[in-house]
Amino acid sequence: MIVTYNWLKEFVDFDLSADQLSHQLTMAGLEVDFMEMLGAGLDSVIVAQLDSVEPHPDADRLTLCQVNTGMEVIPVVCGATNHKSGDLIALAQVGTVLPGNFKIKKSKIRGAVSQGMLCSETELGLAEESAGIMILPHGLELGSAVFDALGLKDVRFEIGLTPNRADCLSVAGVAREVAAIVGKKMQLPSGDTITEASTTIDSETSVTIDDADGCLRYMARLIKGVTIAPSPDWLVQRLESIGMRSINNVVDVTNYVLMELGHPLHAFDYQQLRGKKIVVKRATEGEEFVTLDEQTRQLQAGDIVICDAEGSIALAGIMGGGNSEIQDTTVDILLESAYFDPISIRRTSKRLGIHSEASHRFERGADIDIVPVALERAISLIQQVAGGSVAKGVIDTYPKQLVKRQVSITPARTNALLGLDLSLERIEEMLNSIELVTQQVVLDGQFALMTTIPMSRHDLEREVDLIEEIARLNGYDNIPVTMPVSRVVRRLKDDSQTITHALRNTMVAEGFNEIINYSFVSPLVWDKIGLTDDDPRRVNIKVLNPLTEEQSVMRTSLLPAMLETITGNLSYRSQNLSLFELRPIFTVVEGAIQPTESLRLCAAITGRKERDGWSQSDDTVDFYDLKGTIESVFQLLHLSEFRVETNGEQPYLHPGKSCRLYCGKLFLGEMGELHPQIQENYDIDQPVYVVDLDVAALLRTKKGEKSFEPISRFPDGYRDSALLFDDNVNAQQLFDVLSKVKVKNLDDVTLFDMYSGEGVSEGKKSLAIRARYRSMDKTLTDDEINAMHAKIVKSLQKNLGAVIR
Amino acid sequence: MKEKLESMLVTANEAMATAVDEAALQEIRVSYLGKKGQLTSIMKGMGRLTAEERPIVGEVANRVKDQVSKIFDRQLKVLKSQAMKSRLDHEKIDVTLPGRRHNIGTKHPVTLVTEELIDIFSSLGFCVAEGPEVEQDFYNFEALNIPKDHPARDMQDTFYIDDDVVLRTHTSPVQIRSMLKLAPPLRIIAPGTVYRRDSDVTHSPMFHQIEGFMVDQNITFGDLKGILTTFIHECFGKKVGVRFRPSFFPFTEPSAEVDIQCVICGGKGCRVCKNSGWLEILGSGMIDPEVFKSVEYDSERYTGFAFGMGLERIAMLKYGVNDLRLFFENDVRFLRQF
Repeated sequence: MIVTYNWLKEFVDFDLSADQLSHQLTMAGLEVDFMEMLGAGLDSVIVAQLDSVEPHPDADRLTLCQVNTGMEVIPVVCGATNHKSGDLIALAQVGTVLPGNFKIKKSKIRGAVSQGMLCSETELGLAEESAGIMILPHGLELGSAVFDALGLKDVRFEIGLTPNRADCLSVAGVAREVAAIVGKKMQLPSGDTITEASTTIDSETSVTIDDADGCLRYMARLIKGVTIAPSPDWLVQRLESIGMRSINNVVDVTNYVLMELGHPLHAFDYQQLRGKKIVVKRATEGEEFVTLDEQTRQLQAGDIVICDAEGSIALAGIMGGGNSEIQDTTVDILLESAYFDPISIRRTSKRLGIHSEASHRFERGADIDIVPVALERAISLIQQVAGGSVAKGVIDTYPKQLVKRQVSITPARTNALLGLDLSLERIEEMLNSIELVTQQVVLDGQFALMTTIPMSRHDLEREVDLIEEIARLNGYDNIPVTMPVSRVVRRLKDDSQTITHALRNTMVAEGFNEIINYSFVSPLVWDKIGLTDDDPRRVNIKVLNPLTEEQSVMRTSLLPAMLETITGNLSYRSQNLSLFELRPIFTVVEGAIQPTESLRLCAAITGRKERDGWSQSDDTVDFYDLKGTIESVFQLLHLSEFRVETNGEQPYLHPGKSCRLYCGKLFLGEMGELHPQIQENYDIDQPVYVVDLDVAALLRTKKGEKSFEPISRFPDGYRDSALLFDDNVNAQQLFDVLSKVKVKNLDDVTLFDMYSGEGVSEGKKSLAIRARYRSMDKTLTDDEINAMHAKIVKSLQKNLGAVIR
Repeated sequence: MKEKLESMLVTANEAMATAVDEAALQEIRVSYLGKKGQLTSIMKGMGRLTAEERPIVGEVANRVKDQVSKIFDRQLKVLKSQAMKSRLDHEKIDVTLPGRRHNIGTKHPVTLVTEELIDIFSSLGFCVAEGPEVEQDFYNFEALNIPKDHPARDMQDTFYIDDDVVLRTHTSPVQIRSMLKLAPPLRIIAPGTVYRRDSDVTHSPMFHQIEGFMVDQNITFGDLKGILTTFIHECFGKKVGVRFRPSFFPFTEPSAEVDIQCVICGGKGCRVCKNSGWLEILGSGMIDPEVFKSVEYDSERYTGFAFGMGLERIAMLKYGVNDLRLFFENDVRFLRQF
C-alpha cells in the first residue's frame, strides 16, 4: 500500500516529520518498506518565463531561448518543440542534479551558450513518459521552486501490510492509524455535493441478488451524459504520487476513491447493459467470459458474476468484462459499489490467476459500511470532473443486514499475557483511539470492556485480538523485558542427533567439506547414474508444482547431486576434493501419507592426496584413502564389527573396485571407485571414489561404548614374515585367520607390504606381515617370541596355503 | 726426566691448542695418555727409577697427566662448541616456506549457525526436536490456524505433493507435533529444512529455519522479549540494538517481528538495511489460542511464545555473505572459508 504525506494530511492533522512518521507507522505494525522524497534535491528547478524563443542558428531541431528567472535573463538551448515565447516553464539551473544522477552544467551547444535545461515531467520524475517540456500554469511566481509552487513536494511511503490489516488498504485506513498515534481524530473528506436529476434510478434499472451468500450488499447509482476526457491536473498528480497511471476522468475517479477509502468500485457503460438490469449470481459451469484485459476465462459454478439481462458483464470483485467497460465514447455510467464474499473471491482469483486491486481487498475483507460512502464520494467526483446528470436515488440491495461483532476484553488477561499493568481506563482509551466503541461491564465478576468492532476490522474476533491491539498501541518497546519463571524441563535424549553430530565431526576431522544440495532433483538423474529400470530408487515423491523439471522429484540418493557438485567444482579448476553430505532421502511407503525420511551419508574424494605445495607429493587419492575414512568413522562410533564384502552391486560403481559395507550382519552401504561410464556421464576426467552410507541403519546397530583396555609396562618384540599366497587370497581372509589364532601375547599385526611381479611366480603374491608381541607381566624372551610367531605362520600355512619366501 | 715431562706438557699444550677438530684432539690425547702414549710409557718406566727419584718424578708425572687431561677437557669443550657452531651455521632452512598441511574439513555455514544456535538455546534450557520435511497440510497449515482459502497462505508459496501433503514451508509444524506428543512445560527448538516456491537472488526454493517455543503457566510477552533479547546478544554481541514491532502470523497473537541494529553499518543506514538502520531477523509472538485448541492445550491455563528465523539469513549477517545462492552452489572456494 502506497500513501503520501500530503494525502494523509487531508485526513488527520499531525505534526511529525516524514522520518518520524515512517518510524511510528513501522512501530505500530504498518511497516514502511520504502520512503521516497518527491522533489527532494530539486529546489534549484525553478519557475521561469520564456522571454523569447528563436531557432538555433546552427541546428534545425534546437531552439535558443531567453529565459527570465525573475532575477536575470539567461540563454538556454532546448530541443523540444511544444514551447513558445511567454510560456512558464521548469528551469533546471546549472548545478541541479536531476533524477538518474543527471547533472546540469553550463555548456555550449553548437556554438550557443546554454545555462540550464528546460525540463519535461519525465526528467523531473513526475511521469513515466511525457511529450515535450512541462508548460506550467500561469500565475506562478518566477524564481520559486517548481515543486513548491505546484504543491508537488511530497513524501511517498510504501507500506508492507500484513494480510490481517485489510482496513489499512487505503489512505483513510492509514490515516486512522496516524490519528491514533498522534492522539487526534481522523476526518473523512466531506462536502461532496451531488446534483440529482428528476428521473429516478428505479425507473431506469434494477439490481437483483440471486446469491446472497456471494454478494452481501450491492449498491448502484446512475449518471448520464458524462464526457470522458483526460483528468484534471490535481487528479493526475494525486494518482501519480502513489505510482498510478491516469487513464481518463471516470476511471481515475474510481481508482482515486479505491485508494482514498479502500473500497473497489466498478463503472459499467450503461448503454451496453442489455435489458438495463443487474443480476448478481453464480456463474454457469464451463461458461466462457472475456475480461477487460481481453483474456477469455473459463468460469466455474462457484464464481460470482455480475450479469445483465443476457449474460455476464463482470467477474464480481475481480475484473470487469470487455462487453461493458468504459470507453471514450461512453456517456451513461452505472456505478457499482458492492460487498462480496471473501472466500469466493479468493477461490476465483486464485484459480484464474487474476490478482487485481479489487480482488486483493475483497478477499481480505472490505468494509461493508463504507459501501455507500464510497459510492457517494465517487459519484460526486465524477460529476465534478466529467459532468453529467445523476439519476435521483440510490439502489441499495442488502438482504441480510450484518450486525457488528461484540468482543470483550479484561484488564486481568491483557496484563497477564503482555506482562503489563494497565488500568481499565487506559485500555479503553487505547481502544477508542482506533475508533472502537467500548462499554464498561462486569463479566464473571471481573471488570471488562464490551467492544463493538467496526465492519472494517475483520481481524478483531477474539479477546486476544484486542490484546494485540493494546500491545501495539501501548508500543512493544514499552513492554518490560523479563525472563520466564518456568519449571525445569527434562532434556530429551536423542541418539540420532548424537550420531549425526559425531559423524559430521569425524568427516570434518578427516578433511572433508560439508555440502548441502537441494532435496529435489531431476527425474533423469537415475539414468545418469545408471540405475536399472527396476531399481527402487526410481520410485520418487513428485512435486506437483515444481519450479523446474530439474527440481521435480524428492531424491532417493544423495549421489547424483554429489556428482554434479564435483563437476561444478572441477569446472572452476578446484581439482582436489573431499566432500560429504549428511541429509535425508525420501522413500515412498506404499499406503502411507508421508514418505520415510532417512539420513544418508554420501562422501566422495578425487584428485591429489595432499594440497599443492613446494614439497608435497603428487600422489592421487585412491580407494584406500576413502576406506580409511570410513574405518575412522566406525572407530569413532565404537562400531567394532566393521567388515566389507567384495561383491559390490551398485551400477554406478566399478565392479572390481567396490565393496559392500557391514556392521556385523547389518548392511550399511557401498563404496568404491565411480564406474568409468558414470564418470563420463558427468564429464569428470579423473577417478572419483564415493561412499553411500545408510545412517538410519547405523542408528540401529548395537552401539559400542568406550571401554578401557589395560596397557603393558613391558617392552615389545616383533617379527616380520614375507609369505607367498595364491592371488585370490584377500587381506580380509588373512586377518580373519589371524584373529582366530590363540596367541596370548600377540599385540597387533600389520600388513606392511604387498607385492606381485618379478621374483614372485605367476598367480602368487607376497604379503608381508609384522607381528608385535608384548606381555602384560614380563619382558618376553626371544625364544618365547619365536615360538608364538611360528604358531602364527603355521596357521597361515595351514589355512591359506601360505609359503615362506 | 723431570725436564722431559715439563717439555712434554708444553708440546702437548701446543699440539692440543692447534688441533683442528675433535678427532685430531683425541689422537693427540691418545699419543700422550693412551696405552702406548708418551706419558704412559714414562709412567710405566717409573719402576726403573730409584726410590728417591720415584716420588719426585711420580709427582711431576701425575701433575703433567692431570694438566694434559685438563687441557684436553678444556680444548674438547672449545672444539665441541666450535663444531656445534659451525654445524648450526651450515644447517639453515627457509622457515618462511609454507608448512605442509592436511586438507582442512569444514562444516557448511548453515550447519555452523545451527550448532551455535542450538548451543545458545540449550543454555537457556531448550532441547532439540525434529519433524518431517514432507509434511501434512494439517501440521503445516491447518493446526497453525492457516485454513485453506485464507489469504495468509499467500505469505508462503507452497510446493505441493498432493492435496494434503506439502513440502513444509516452515519449521512450525514441529510445534504441533511436539505439543501433541508432550504436555507442558515445554521448551523446544527445532532446526530444519524448509521449502518455498520462490527462486531469485534473494530467495531459494530450499532453505533452513530454526523454530523455538516455550509453553507453561504465566509466560508473558515480556518473557518472549527476554529470551529473544538474550539470544540476540549471545549471537550478535551484547551491544547490538534490538527492537520488537507488531506484525502478523496466523499462529501467534500478538505477533512481533524482531529487528537488530544493522550489523553492517551499525545503524547508520546502508544498502543492506535499505537505509533503515535495522535488519529483520526473526518472527515471533504469543502462541495463538487457536493453535492450543488444535493440540488440546487449555489456553486458559497455559500461555507460550514461539519464534522462527532463517538460518541462511543469520549466516549471511554473521559471516558477511552477500549472495544467498552461494549456500547451495557448494563451491569449495566458498565452503573452505568456514
